[in-house]
Amino acid sequence: MIKAISRGGQFGAFSKATAQAIPPPSASVLVPATLPPSSKPLVEIDRALLTSDSLGKAVSSINNFGVISGPGVTTQVRFAHTDVKVPDFTAYRRDSTKSPTSDNDKSLGSRAAFSYLFTAGSLAGAIYGGKGIVHAFVTSMSASADVLAVSTIEVKLSAIPEGQCVTFKWRGKPLFIRHRTQEEISRERAVPLSDLRDPQEDEVRVQKPEWLVVLGVCTHLGCVPIANAGDFGGYYCPCHGSHYDASGRIRKGPAPLNLEVPKYAFTDPDTVLVG
Amino acid sequence: MAAAVGRISASRLLKTNSSLAPFQVCSLSTAHSWTRGRKLLWTSIGVVAGGAGALFLALETSVKATDIELHPPKLPWDHKKILGGYDHRSVRRGWEVYKNVCAACHSMRYLCYRDLVGATHTEAEAKAEAEEQMIEDGPNDVGEMFKRPGKLSDHVPSPYPNEEAARAANGGAYPPDLSYIIPARHGGEDYVFHLLTGYHEPPAGVALREGLHYNPYFVGGAIGMAQALYSEIIEYEDGTPATQSQLAKDVTNFLAWAAFPELEERKQVGIKSIALLSILLFATLYLKRFRFSVMKTRKIQYNPPKKDV
Amino acid sequence: MGLAGTIYQTLFRRSSTAAITIVIGAYATERIIDEGSTLLWKNYNKGKLWDDIKHKYEK
Repeated sequence: MIKAISRGGQFGAFSKATAQAIPPPSASVLVPATLPPSSKPLVEIDRALLTSDSLGKAVSSINNFGVISGPGVTTQVRFAHTDVKVPDFTAYRRDSTKSPTSDNDKSLGSRAAFSYLFTAGSLAGAIYGGKGIVHAFVTSMSASADVLAVSTIEVKLSAIPEGQCVTFKWRGKPLFIRHRTQEEISRERAVPLSDLRDPQEDEVRVQKPEWLVVLGVCTHLGCVPIANAGDFGGYYCPCHGSHYDASGRIRKGPAPLNLEVPKYAFTDPDTVLVG
Repeated sequence: MAAAVGRISASRLLKTNSSLAPFQVCSLSTAHSWTRGRKLLWTSIGVVAGGAGALFLALETSVKATDIELHPPKLPWDHKKILGGYDHRSVRRGWEVYKNVCAACHSMRYLCYRDLVGATHTEAEAKAEAEEQMIEDGPNDVGEMFKRPGKLSDHVPSPYPNEEAARAANGGAYPPDLSYIIPARHGGEDYVFHLLTGYHEPPAGVALREGLHYNPYFVGGAIGMAQALYSEIIEYEDGTPATQSQLAKDVTNFLAWAAFPELEERKQVGIKSIALLSILLFATLYLKRFRFSVMKTRKIQYNPPKKDV
Repeated sequence: MGLAGTIYQTLFRRSSTAAITIVIGAYATERIIDEGSTLLWKNYNKGKLWDDIKHKYEK
């Protein structure tokens, strides 16, 4: 209120005056209200006049006069125009507030719920639609069906005789599948870990003891090793002389690591699915 | 267009005139000042131009004797209905027809065996279909190409290695690739069906070159492809009677599926989109009215002060 | 205060509950539309879809 008065400038006197009594305005000039000190106030005030609303309500019993005041507006005095025809806005009003005698506070909950339900509904729909669009763009970055179709290879194991290693082409790299003999298995299982450069037990490198599945890429500089050659009966890389055993583990030469074991699974006893 | 509008209406469009609409339309016309003769002249020009246009359109769309082509009538395909998907039993039979009849001359080089999985065949069946064919692969260790049984990832093999070989084997006519033949021909499914079933003896007066066949649905009427579908030419595995029109319907359904395998997913996304967007439409309409009610229920009036006060 | 008033008081009065309501509503919308459209699709194309005939070919 103090702020309003200070902002009100020359109208400050009026806004103060309305707290007690307002004379009907004359046509051209507003005269500051002067009150006889002993007279009874025209309007009984039972609450603090903090807003323009309460100010307006306080003087509403006086004909054709209203006050707007507050930090957001310049203080102004309005005349209620009787010469303005107000259009019928009933179409924009809700049924519960149409009657002049309705208690609008009571229907506030249902009115608010209605509007919020529409907001919530459209937001929920927008989230669903947005999710679909994001999903479409993100999945467009994943591998296409033809790439996925050649990313796995199925190998019939019955075609590989015991003691033989067969090379397949998989994702552009050679893939060794070796049918190990019982003698090779027992030999590799007996190797102590302390003898190995890259210590790994044979049990963790194979799923079934008789089948070894490794990538045929030497871990030194990427040559393709030769099967059933070298000092340890496994693989021998001709480029720089790395020797691997029948479990694909590095035993001698410059290579630092064992041959890589790809992800594979036995779909049935006769078929292995690599990739 | 904008210039023409500007010339006719000039500044009158900008004039704010809140009086009744018909008067405003009248005042937009520039013809009210014309003489009677001028109005008559322009009316006659309009009638003549309109009549000439209508005549031109009628002649344009009429059947011409020089264009010996029969337009195929429309058939009620399942997948052409708004919510319709493919008849997968028919598509499966169509694959049999393609494999046993069409594949002798026509390639489908964009179709893979893996595409059949989940549409016409189970994975095991599709693998078996692929393994029937020998696919060229390689090069092997010694740099030579070799043949191996097909895999799911392989494309359907073509009957000829290249277009020249296909032309040489078919008297100069090139059997087109069938992967996308349905969208590639006017009339789509209807055309393919009627082409396959429309062979008959050439009418009197039509002379055909050696090696050509008469088909009224083919442009020009003379087609290099001989009639391929006869009743009972193959036997369906599901026991459906293999009449000529059944064979043609099935292979057309199959070709439509091969060209648009995503049709069913597309239509389902369409159903979802329409459901969601209609919810959003009504919500948006309500919210617009709700938000704008503050603006719409306000009246601003300015009464200029009288000068003599 | 009827049902609508209760909904307003419990769900939308506070921004936090309103946000949770909207997220749950989005999930419910997705489920309803997805399931509903699949149901419509399967009913309309009954007997023709691969799902309807695959039992004949699977062992």
